[in-house]
Amino acid sequence: MPGGDFHPFFFVVIAAWILVCGLGVVLFRNIIYSAVSMVFCFLGVAFAYALLNAELVAIVQILIYVGATSVVILFAIMLTEVQQSYGQLFHRQAIFAAPLAVAAAVVMTVMVVSTELADVGDTSLNLSVHALSSLLFNRYVFPFELVSLVLLAAMIGAIVLARRQGEKR
Amino acid sequence: MSPLDWWLLLAMLLFCIGAFGVLARRNTIVVIMSLELMLNAVNIALVAIAQFRAGSQGAGVLFSLFVITLAAAEVTVGLGIVIANYRAKRTVENDHFDEMKG
Amino acid sequence: MEAADSMKIAVILIVLLPLVGFITTLLFGKRMGGKAHIVPVALVTVTAALAVYAFGWVFQHQEEPFVWDAFSWIVAGRYHASWGFQVDTLTGIMLLVVGIIGMLTHYYSIGYMRGDGGYYRFFAYLNLFMFAMYMLILADNFLLLFLGWEGVGLCSYLLIGFWFDRKSASQAGKKAFLVNRVGDFGFTLGMFLVLVTTGTLQFAGVFDKAETIGAGTLLWICLLLFTGAVGKSAQFPLHVWLPDAMEGPTPVSALIHAATMVNAGVYMVARAYPLFAQSETAMLVVMVVGTFTAIFAACIAITQNDIKKVIAYSTISSLGFMFMALGAGAWVAGIFYLFVHGFFKGLLFLCSGSVIHAMGGEQDMRKMGGLRTRIPVTFWTMLIAAVALVGIFPLSGFWAKDEILGGAFAHGYYVVWLVGIVTAFLTAVFAFRMMFMTFWGESRADAEVQAHIHESPKVMTVPLVLLAIPAAAVGAVVGWPPEAGWIHRFLDPVFFAVEHEEFEWLGTGGALMAVSLAVALLGVYLAYVLYLRRRELPERLAARVPWAYEASLRKMYMDDIYEVVPVRSTIAFSRFLWTGFDVHVIDGAVNGIARLWGWFGDRLRPLQTGRVHNYAFGILAGALALVVIVGWVWGI
Repeated sequence: MPGGDFHPFFFVVIAAWILVCGLGVVLFRNIIYSAVSMVFCFLGVAFAYALLNAELVAIVQILIYVGATSVVILFAIMLTEVQQSYGQLFHRQAIFAAPLAVAAAVVMTVMVVSTELADVGDTSLNLSVHALSSLLFNRYVFPFELVSLVLLAAMIGAIVLARRQGEKR
Repeated sequence: MSPLDWWLLLAMLLFCIGAFGVLARRNTIVVIMSLELMLNAVNIALVAIAQFRAGSQGAGVLFSLFVITLAAAEVTVGLGIVIANYRAKRTVENDHFDEMKG
Repeated sequence: MEAADSMKIAVILIVLLPLVGFITTLLFGKRMGGKAHIVPVALVTVTAALAVYAFGWVFQHQEEPFVWDAFSWIVAGRYHASWGFQVDTLTGIMLLVVGIIGMLTHYYSIGYMRGDGGYYRFFAYLNLFMFAMYMLILADNFLLLFLGWEGVGLCSYLLIGFWFDRKSASQAGKKAFLVNRVGDFGFTLGMFLVLVTTGTLQFAGVFDKAETIGAGTLLWICLLLFTGAVGKSAQFPLHVWLPDAMEGPTPVSALIHAATMVNAGVYMVARAYPLFAQSETAMLVVMVVGTFTAIFAACIAITQNDIKKVIAYSTISSLGFMFMALGAGAWVAGIFYLFVHGFFKGLLFLCSGSVIHAMGGEQDMRKMGGLRTRIPVTFWTMLIAAVALVGIFPLSGFWAKDEILGGAFAHGYYVVWLVGIVTAFLTAVFAFRMMFMTFWGESRADAEVQAHIHESPKVMTVPLVLLAIPAAAVGAVVGWPPEAGWIHRFLDPVFFAVEHEEFEWLGTGGALMAVSLAVALLGVYLAYVLYLRRRELPERLAARVPWAYEASLRKMYMDDIYEVVPVRSTIAFSRFLWTGFDVHVIDGAVNGIARLWGWFGDRLRPLQTGRVHNYAFGILAGALALVVIVGWVWGI
């Protein structure tokens, strides 16, 4: 069980929360339920980050995922006016997709279990926001600038795509 | 089983749930949400490894930040496509989008 | 060396002037209309004068031929070809024949071709022909000779098919071209062999090494070169193109297909005398082919009804005579015959052209007759030509023909002599059959044609008369006395190893001469009986031996044989290649491969569903498979 500076019980609760909410996203028939389930899942992940002593990531997770992305998705649901999936929930492909997902899980479990990773582990690390920022703006400044370009392109793309046909302005 | 392994198993299970959603659901919006689950799973793995592996903390955390940013961009564009498709076809079920069939 | 310098100018002009005439006439002739003949005829006249001048030069310098390497043509590695000219006594003789007959034919054509739609084209082609023919006889190497050789072949093709809107004419042109290709192929191979063996194509260089060439190689060289001669000079079995070549205008038949081009083969063999003289087998082949062709063609000529076809087969027979002479070792006699034959056969053709002209285009002798008094000039000149052809004393043909037969006899080829005598007899029969059917008896033409019979214009009859003089006299002038005449001494430098027979008037020579004269007269008398006195006899004779008559009339079935053996089989084979091989195997393979990939594509097509989730499934499955494979290979 994950040790360190928190009780393994917290890990179990958080993990169960994340997985149940994740299953809810995939399995709910009503798309609104799926969306809400996703928001809770994101919150769970944010708690997980907190447990991992990554406060900055946890905060960003809440800001962007719980705040922004969820809202965009809810807007999309409203715009498409399809609250419920009618007819088949899954493709016929699902009967292959489920075994494939299980197989992937098995393979990855084998990989994780059979790989010796934790020997060099050190759970007591706590990187300050200050240290992270200096890394971001020194060593990783080039990816940072690239990401800003990607965001700009995505913004323009989203506007062009979502604009109604004939609105030439 | 070290602590890191449990975190990785959590990330792996979440990834598989998301993958199943992407492959199996018909509703495109749910597919995009499942995609977000997969990205979150990857992020959990990144942050966990960063915390438990000496010398890689900064990189792992920063990469999870980049992933979150790109995921936001991806969601925006993906939903834009969904909406454009919905206008054209009055549906968001992705088995109706087969214009590229050979 | 001043004389040599003037010779250089003369030779260059001889070659260039007709070429200039060809180009100018082709470019501007159409605008000149009925006056298109002025430039080419004037140029050819000058050329003829220059040819006579060159002959005169050779006459004075018999022992040392004029050789001039004008300029380089092809330089490739060790091989070097040049525009080189050579004028020796043999060339001199050819220059006279080509120059004089060429010029007279040009004048004659002014009248004959008047009003034809292709008037300028005709003279352009004739000038091109003169250029190529001069090139052929003036060349000092095989390659340049071949250039002229192919040039005259091209002109022959163009002029046979001159009236190309007549299908038979264009077909005949193609036939001449294709049949000649067979011979030229052999000629080309022969040239290659000469080049490989001796390293040069220069006549002098090749002939210097003639004695060092191995017997087998030499035989092959001679036979291959002779193949070319067989094609060009219409010898059996490649003679079939010449009768069809009569589709061309008659001046063409006279100039190209009687007096000059068809002699090119004979000239070439005579030119290669140092090679042929070394190989007895090759000589034997030449003689046998020539002898057989002579009697073979004579047998066909005897039943033909088209006046030009008769003369055409007579030409083939005469060419056979020449090869017979060369092969038998009577080299001088062969060239002597070539010389006189050019005059009287050219004349014969021109006269027949005049007859056809008078009859309004009719060529069938069964519809002629009684023309003796209607067109007297044509009649008398043609009579001279026919008598010269038959070989009656003292006209030209007599001396040359007798010399060939005497040569064959003297060299011990008695069978050849006998065949030659029979051929001479047949020649007399068919030549006078033609004369009697055309000029004697009552006219069998339609009344309308009758009314239009007229003598040809002066521009045509004057060349006839001018040509009749050498046709009658040249034999006696150059060939007297037999075996020791002027021409024998003149050609000695070329045929350096030939020994002349002693001619005895009261010995073998005289006796043979008497026999051949008697046979010729007998032939004429037979023709007189059959075709004038008792005109019903030929039909009864034909009815008695219908197979022989039929065979002769059908040209010994040569065209039918060609039709069946090479033509049909080639067509059948091509058809098989087309419908069998090409359609099924080649196209089948190509289409099959295409269809195979099409089939694959159809099978793979459902994979591209156009649905994103299917692709996503493929991505995940592929990634998983990759992980499993990599893990398995690394042993986890």
